[in-house]
Amino acid sequence: MSIEVNIHRSLRHLTRGKAKVEVNGNTVGHCLYGLVKQFPGIETKLFDKKGKLLNYIDIYVNAESSYPEELSKPVNDGDELSITLIIGGG
Amino acid sequence: MLTRDELERYDRQIMIMGVGEEGQEKLKKAKVFIAGAGGLGSVTPTYLAAAGVGVIRVVDHDRVELSNLNRQVLHWDEDIGKKKVDSAVEKLKRLNLRVKVEAIEEMITEVNISQLVDGFDLIVDAMDNLPARYLLNKVAIERNIPFFHGAVHGFEGRAMTIIPGETACLRCIYRGAIIEGKFPVIGVTPGVIGCIQATEVIKYIVGIGELLTNRLLIYDGLNMKFTEFKAKKDPYCEHCAQVSKGQDKK
Repeated sequence: MSIEVNIHRSLRHLTRGKAKVEVNGNTVGHCLYGLVKQFPGIETKLFDKKGKLLNYIDIYVNAESSYPEELSKPVNDGDELSITLIIGGG
Repeated sequence: MLTRDELERYDRQIMIMGVGEEGQEKLKKAKVFIAGAGGLGSVTPTYLAAAGVGVIRVVDHDRVELSNLNRQVLHWDEDIGKKKVDSAVEKLKRLNLRVKVEAIEEMITEVNISQLVDGFDLIVDAMDNLPARYLLNKVAIERNIPFFHGAVHGFEGRAMTIIPGETACLRCIYRGAIIEGKFPVIGVTPGVIGCIQATEVIKYIVGIGELLTNRLLIYDGLNMKFTEFKAKKDPYCEHCAQVSKGQDKK
């Protein structure tokens, strides 16, 4: 299934400047692994050493929060996945 | 009851359909707790004071530094070294002497937070770290006090309004602590987000419009784009799962 991933501005240097990347997958996790396959440098910005999503990574599917258990959330052909970063400044 | 002076001062907003004298009286009676007197905590209370919110309590434990002044617009060169709460309250009182503004110089902790917000109708998140935001979120849920979230980083900001027992809370959408420290930011970002928070506070108090609930608004200043993401109440949320709609307000 073809999924479009919106890449947060701060991660685009790892996707050769691309703001949108096409990936294939049935779940959010599959899609993110597909993204890492295309752009290996992004892996450590998304996952910890155990393969868990980092705390500051925020994933939305069709503009809806996929938290909790994001990686197992199913996606369908044509869905749009957005990677954003949780921010804490004030 | 509004005085003649108040009727004149707030004339332009009293003219707004849905506000009127009744709405202005609600603003006058409202008590708003502002957690932080930094970037967001300079902007939100400024507009709430200008709008005539009756009581504003500002809590912060820091002192003004030179490097704060690019964004913390309530603090000026002459305030360097002063307590931020004193600097903020002095300006807010000068802006509108009809509003009661209280300064509390304390670090917000798990131990004192419940006492600090006691008697207040709304809580504004103007903190600079996520753990403090979780404390505010938790106490807001426990005390059934509406909570107005805001955060900034660089040219990006976020805002969401939380009505305890009814809408998704911060812990419903955020996983946990994140690594924090000195963060980049330009003053216009807390300017935008702080104004959104103040708008939400005013709408809630007056009872007009549609609140930014179950919606996380992300502002991207560099693309000048606002994106809205849906937030859902997590049935297993460690802060709000046990709280039901319509709980008694303490």
